[in-house]
Amino acid sequence: MLEVVDLSAGYLGEDIVHGVSFSVAEREVVVVIGSNGAGKTTLFRAVCGLMRATRGTVTFDGRSITGRRAHEVARRGLAYVPADRHLFPEMAVSENLDLGAYPRRPRRERRELVLDLFPRLAERHRQRAGTLSGGEQQMLTVGRALMSEPRLLLLDEPTTGLAPKLAAEAYAALAALRQHGLTILVAEQQVPLALQLGDRGYVLEDGRIQLAGTSAELEQDPEVQRAYLGVA
Amino acid sequence: MTHPVATVGRAMTSAPRAYAPIVLVGVLAALLPLRYGDSRTMMGVIIGGVLFAAYVIGFNVIFGSTGQLFLCVGALAGLGGYASGILSDRHGLPMVLAIVLASLVAAVVGGLLSWIAVSRSLGVIFTGIVTLAFSLAFQNLLLGRRDLTGGETGLVVDAGSESLLGEQVAPYYAFLVLVVAYLVVHRALQRSRVGWAFRALRDDEVAAELTGIDVKRYRVLAGTLGSAMIGLAGALYAHSEGFVSPSTFAFGEVDVRVLVMLAFGGIGSLLGPVIGAAAFTALDEWLVSFNEYRLITYGAVILVVFLGFPRGVVLRSPGGWRRRRASPLRGAPPS
Amino acid sequence: MTAVALDGIVLGLQFGLLGVGLTLVYGLGGVLNLAHGQLAVLGAIVAALRMDAGASAVVAVLTGLAAAGTAALLLDLTLLRPVYRRRGEARVLLGLLLMLGVAFVIDGVLVWRYPIEALSLRIGGDPVDVLGVGMRTGSLLASAIAVGTGVALVVFFRFTTLGKAVRSVIQDEEGAQLCGVSPATVRALVLPLSGVLAALVAVTRSMTSPVTVNAGIDLTTLALIVAVVGGLGSVSGAFLAGVLLGIVNTVSAHYIGSYVTTIVLLGAAAVTIVLRPSGLLGVGRE
Repeated sequence: MLEVVDLSAGYLGEDIVHGVSFSVAEREVVVVIGSNGAGKTTLFRAVCGLMRATRGTVTFDGRSITGRRAHEVARRGLAYVPADRHLFPEMAVSENLDLGAYPRRPRRERRELVLDLFPRLAERHRQRAGTLSGGEQQMLTVGRALMSEPRLLLLDEPTTGLAPKLAAEAYAALAALRQHGLTILVAEQQVPLALQLGDRGYVLEDGRIQLAGTSAELEQDPEVQRAYLGVA
Repeated sequence: MTHPVATVGRAMTSAPRAYAPIVLVGVLAALLPLRYGDSRTMMGVIIGGVLFAAYVIGFNVIFGSTGQLFLCVGALAGLGGYASGILSDRHGLPMVLAIVLASLVAAVVGGLLSWIAVSRSLGVIFTGIVTLAFSLAFQNLLLGRRDLTGGETGLVVDAGSESLLGEQVAPYYAFLVLVVAYLVVHRALQRSRVGWAFRALRDDEVAAELTGIDVKRYRVLAGTLGSAMIGLAGALYAHSEGFVSPSTFAFGEVDVRVLVMLAFGGIGSLLGPVIGAAAFTALDEWLVSFNEYRLITYGAVILVVFLGFPRGVVLRSPGGWRRRRASPLRGAPPS
Repeated sequence: MTAVALDGIVLGLQFGLLGVGLTLVYGLGGVLNLAHGQLAVLGAIVAALRMDAGASAVVAVLTGLAAAGTAALLLDLTLLRPVYRRRGEARVLLGLLLMLGVAFVIDGVLVWRYPIEALSLRIGGDPVDVLGVGMRTGSLLASAIAVGTGVALVVFFRFTTLGKAVRSVIQDEEGAQLCGVSPATVRALVLPLSGVLAALVAVTRSMTSPVTVNAGIDLTTLALIVAVVGGLGSVSGAFLAGVLLGIVNTVSAHYIGSYVTTIVLLGAAAVTIVLRPSGLLGVGRE
């Protein structure tokens, strides 16, 4: 479904991501793990069009989206949930959600699905997004992305700043989404959780893919264990 | 880890090489009266050019060094000019003393504006708006307090008309010395610890704060120093011209020009103000003959210049400095 | 006292309209349109010229509004492109400088070609009694237009999908993109709107006093003050600030004097920024 070939991207002439290639097949859950500064966010931003890649191609659903603007990519069915949320602070939770469906009208079934997934959002329906707690804002960002009924969901460290209980809830919600045929690509620093959820994973460090494999394989890998799982 | 100042020291050029360009400019400029000394009009134009170079250097110290958009250069110069004129004529102070006091007034006001901007963490645009408001308010003050300032008709400044400032060519040299002095001060500043702090806070304010740089203090310092420079130039002008009026220091007359001159010459650069002032003074002279088309041409020139030279002209500083000197802080990519 | 207050509100509603155009453009792209007043004057002069040529007031006004809107759209599609490509301080500065150049060009052209042209829409009729004060029909019509437009704008921005899309770009441009909103398209729609609003204010002003070719700078300054006090990027803020400042303006002019009034208004802007940088109802865009 998503095919990234030899992608490089960066800021002010300096590349942060170097020649990254990976793919995500339909209905898969793929995880990208890496430490802070590894380039996960840059990679995602380049894929979804918020940044221009310096080299490489991105193909989504068989069609090239290389160089396409973010709003075009969003309309094609690739929804990005950024780590820093980018919600609309002065608008209510419901308005934020509705805008997720833009330019289409939000479908009732989809809205109900999202509110079922995140009951707290239903409670705070009318509240201004800017007044929500960190965890609630995170949920709203995911919910907003889901409103567009995307085929591929890109999540950048969705559990940042969430208490462990909430993080587990968030991942349970994501697991539930698999049943609805959604394909998911997640970048995570919290590796154990991510490996539990995902089918396959990539390890990104210094802007390059260092390792690739199924979740099981990665869990067994001594390098991964040492670097991310706290095993000496 | 080596101390940042030591790092900067190693990357520096030697003193003679650093100040050489200033000497060169000074010498070349000193030759101008040989060509134009006979024409009172031309000398007037050239003096205007050097005056603006002084204004722009002051503005450069404030904006180029610390990013504070002071849209009140005219008002600061006006403070200097009017204060000096009033102190010397009305209150009988010796001209030199009046000029010094007037510059102090401008420095204090500028420092105050900086302090306000800094305490309220006003960004570029808001600093611009507040200083613009001050600028327009000052203009209204000049027009309104006729008893003090002569209102619209202006103020005649007698003090200094007997000194060398009243002559045709001599004032030019006075201003030239001033500009060279300003350039030397700016250069010395750039090479000092203060200059290092300026670059750091311009590069990344948060990181600078964390390194122990008191951003507030350096901003107020820049605001005060730059305003003093502007006020001094304005005071000097009042005595050499012998007359000041609100329109001499209006936003449209001064600030617009200063902004365009600096942006053209290179924000934060050393000789940029001189280049910009020279270029646009020449342009203004050329446009005098245009009469009705003057405004249109000025506007068109602004558009062409800033559309055509986006990289090299506008905001050379943040990028330019990083290439020439070791940046004390490595810039972090946007989050 | 009621007369002064009413005058203030009438003036204030127009102030609000003036500020809304400016605040929208800033909110959408960080561009401070220093040519806003000039666009207003452009519309007014075009209308005046059409009337001189024999067109009816309505046709002339519509032509003027269209002219201002088209000019704004052209600016967005051409000059502002390089501005939007930059971020942060670079964008602010370049936008400022380019719009300054535009202001000079428009001013220069109008003053050069039509130096004595002015728009003046005399509305006949006897004064109407409002709350015990006799108001000229011109003032009433101007207020009605301002109120009507204001209400329409608020309804548009609060209740329609497109209006919310516009607000989303103002509140978080990246977030809007992630929702499939194209900031460029939104700007292409709203910039002409701001031009039309500016010209509309010139039209309503002309119902009480003539609008001349050199009114540009004053209108821009006023728009800036209103937008800043109301909070850059907030439509309702601009209206609220407009009305408040309108009342301050008339009260000050009536009891003190016109020189001081300008200082008072400027002071209001400065004080607001210092005490509450985001303005009365600001949205906090840097």
